[in-house]
Amino acid sequence: MMEEIRNKARELLEKKDADGVLGLRRGEEAVVAPHVFREPGEIDRLVTEPKWPLAKTAMRILQSSPRDFRLAVVVRGCDDRALVELAKRNQVTEENLRFIGMACTEEQAQKCLCERPYPRTIHGGKPQPGVHFLQDERVSSLLEGDPAERMERWAAILRRCIKCYGCRNACPICVCVPCKLEDDIWVEKGSIPAEMLVFHLIRAFHLSDACVACGACQEACPVSIPVMALQFAMRQVLKDRYGYEPGLDGARKSPVLKNFLEEPETGKDYPAWITHGGTGHE
Amino acid sequence: MSDSFVRTICPYCGTGCGLILRVRDGAAVESLPDRDHPVSRGHLCIKGWYAHEFIHHPERLTTPLVREGERFRPVSWKEAVALAAERLRGTAEKYGGNAVGGLSSAKCTNEENYLFQKLIRAAFGTNNVDHCARLCHAPTTVAMARSLGSGAMTNSIAHLARAECIVMIGSNAAESHPIIMGEIYRAVDGGATLIVVDPRKTAAAENARIHLAIRPGTDIPLVCGMMRHIIDSGLHNGSFIGERMEGFEDLRAFLSAWTVDRAARESGIPEADLRRAAETFARAREGAVVYCMGITQHACGTANVFALCDLAMLCGHVGREGSGIYPLRGQNNVQGACDMGALPNVYPGYQAVGDPAVRDKFRKAWGRDLSDRPGLTVTEMIGAAGEDIRALYIMAENPALSDPDVNHVLERLQALDFLVVQDIFLTETARFAHLVLPGACYAEKTGTFTNTERRFQLLRKAVDPPGDAEDDFSVLCRLGRALGLDFPYRNPGEVMEEIAALAPAYGGIRHDRLEKAGIQWPCPNTEHPGTAFLHKDRFTRGKGLFVSPDHTPPRESPDGDYPFWLSTGRMFAHYHTGTMTRRSAFLNREQEEPYVEIHPEDARNLTLEDGDPVRITSRRGSIVTTARVTGRVARGSLFAPFHFTEARANRLTNPVLDPLSKIPEFKACAARVEKIKA
Repeated sequence: MMEEIRNKARELLEKKDADGVLGLRRGEEAVVAPHVFREPGEIDRLVTEPKWPLAKTAMRILQSSPRDFRLAVVVRGCDDRALVELAKRNQVTEENLRFIGMACTEEQAQKCLCERPYPRTIHGGKPQPGVHFLQDERVSSLLEGDPAERMERWAAILRRCIKCYGCRNACPICVCVPCKLEDDIWVEKGSIPAEMLVFHLIRAFHLSDACVACGACQEACPVSIPVMALQFAMRQVLKDRYGYEPGLDGARKSPVLKNFLEEPETGKDYPAWITHGGTGHE
Repeated sequence: MSDSFVRTICPYCGTGCGLILRVRDGAAVESLPDRDHPVSRGHLCIKGWYAHEFIHHPERLTTPLVREGERFRPVSWKEAVALAAERLRGTAEKYGGNAVGGLSSAKCTNEENYLFQKLIRAAFGTNNVDHCARLCHAPTTVAMARSLGSGAMTNSIAHLARAECIVMIGSNAAESHPIIMGEIYRAVDGGATLIVVDPRKTAAAENARIHLAIRPGTDIPLVCGMMRHIIDSGLHNGSFIGERMEGFEDLRAFLSAWTVDRAARESGIPEADLRRAAETFARAREGAVVYCMGITQHACGTANVFALCDLAMLCGHVGREGSGIYPLRGQNNVQGACDMGALPNVYPGYQAVGDPAVRDKFRKAWGRDLSDRPGLTVTEMIGAAGEDIRALYIMAENPALSDPDVNHVLERLQALDFLVVQDIFLTETARFAHLVLPGACYAEKTGTFTNTERRFQLLRKAVDPPGDAEDDFSVLCRLGRALGLDFPYRNPGEVMEEIAALAPAYGGIRHDRLEKAGIQWPCPNTEHPGTAFLHKDRFTRGKGLFVSPDHTPPRESPDGDYPFWLSTGRMFAHYHTGTMTRRSAFLNREQEEPYVEIHPEDARNLTLEDGDPVRITSRRGSIVTTARVTGRVARGSLFAPFHFTEARANRLTNPVLDPLSKIPEFKACAARVEKIKA
């Protein structure tokens, strides 16, 4: 797979269809770090592992580059979806972007509980079947069962929060300025843990129509908070009610941002899996 | 103009997390976690995520400055170095080399610390060199060296996740070492029991299975009671003690005075809780003891560490991957500064200055006569400033905020004939200097830091220092040469080769070996992979030694005039004297002002409300700060972070010293609280 990705990257640079390729570079002694490749000759050091979401970095690079700078990005499914969402939010323009798509391995998809472990266009790798998040015992124990017990479980986990802001910083879509989590009307300053309802739920709701399920928030969490369990649930609501998945269709606006009447359903009731347990669409 | 990504090491605490700086147009614009880093594996705390923010701060020092009356005048490097050399040499000629002292820096690299102590020792023939380890883990290096033979963390941070029981005592890692706390939570998620011992209900304590909220300064009673109960219940590890330990009968006899009943009474912990904690730790197949300043910053700090070593060894919890003793080192390179001999009694690699063979080795290598007399410690040098110490060279330390009884420190600093301070900002200490030298921050130089698990890690230069500022390696080379020393180094890698040749424990460390994951010492030769945990089949000293820990209560305790216990420490968004964090916009917005924690009932008695201005007074001084009313502190106790220049908690602290390690008692003094009328 890596050769196919490298070939595409080399081709883009050789044909001058991109000014740089953002990906991972294997350095001295096999150390891996992000890198902007500018020369085709460098591409033999481009690697695709480990998983390292780069959409936000791509955005930051483009935002400080000349308007005509064209950046190719090695994207997994989640990076691809994140860039689509960033484009919808006017953070990047697709004209500046080139996509080098790679499908994730089955193992990676399992690890991420990824429903769609491949980008829109695949240059390398074979698309693997998606995984539903409720297959994971830990996630299902946090989303199903007795609400009072679940609340206790969540409270015990979120009490660990050290307020590093890593979940927000790592999230490719968390780009609001100013950020609500920095507003002391909501989030108390100067102490930890961050208060459960306001900090974590504001974030979850804010991302309800944006989260592309890359898992960067959870991977950045030093204290093993399963942040994605909140996001999976929020995503599922939009999928069930509106058939909407962030990052799939650049032309379709978020149902949350549109007049309810434009949507096929009005979303007045809750999906069955929230009130009764189970996914409601088995 | 394209972006580059520079892998380097976080400059804050001793965890040594991997940090990637995104650099654009010569500026570090973003901090990112390094997913490929062996310690932090893609994690950072709030300070790490914003570690780029102070780098290009407009208040950075950009040129050498010479004092002229109340002002500073910018001067060239040539003039600055000539002045420093002339004044330091002049002092040594007039008063003898022991009138010169140096405070090295746990923020600087190993190579810089090595050069610093070499400069002081070789140029002036004195061992008056020390650094802030004196204020944090001096008791650790003393006690663990005696009990085990090595004064460093026995294991690796990643090993914590394998423990079945973790006793965390006098450490609030959730705020002070967050990434290590994450490792502890991994153990908890795997079924381990976390026991936190702390007078405060800290964030770590809130997440513990058992929280033992002891009275301040009663660590030894508690631990002795636990050991007594373990022995009485036959839960001690007889075969480990028989094969690998000495001094057990002495310890057992010593513990006869520490009944569980007495331990419970003195520590304020119910007997049942004490027993449960002791049994849980002793029964665990793998047990770890994690501790920090709450243990060391006492006038009985060394004895406190002896007690913890005894507890771990009594249960056989040393020498395996999942078991060990974990002192959490404070500064990014405080381990390294100690390793490099920035201490008054040892050369690099903990080789004693009093050992003639060792001294001869260094004399030959450095080509200068060296003193056989241990030098003065940080607090002793400051105390003698203006008297026995006439000139002081301070590299990136800030005693005007960090040392106990700072009112006294400020007086002493002003009494010096000559003070040269090398730093990246005009710190509270630098304001008293006759000469200020602009150094470079972590992002502007190469070299190595050694983290709390003995891991040498490579620091990589991402950007240039501002203006005429220079990396501290270059400054030290300039000054060393001006003092007539042969400092031929072209780069820090060459300094590391010299270190490796002189200190056997680091014999195999070379910069080109550190690229991927660093190397944990001991590493005696270039084929050696490093050492993940110590004392495997034998202790560094041969047999482990039980040392009976004599209990001395805090020197000052609450009375009618000063009815509160006061302790000091860190909070999660700031670091030490705030030189860097308070100049980082995001961190500063998290906590802009000083505060003192006070219990709701005490607040009610004083008619204080949360946010009220208060005056805190001790026998040394007084500060005005803001009351934070919280159940985190016990009734009758106060907690003040020491980051804030406008309300220096160290105006209050007691400079009384632990006799063995000379650490001051930051964690306990008596104070009173007064409401300030608006």
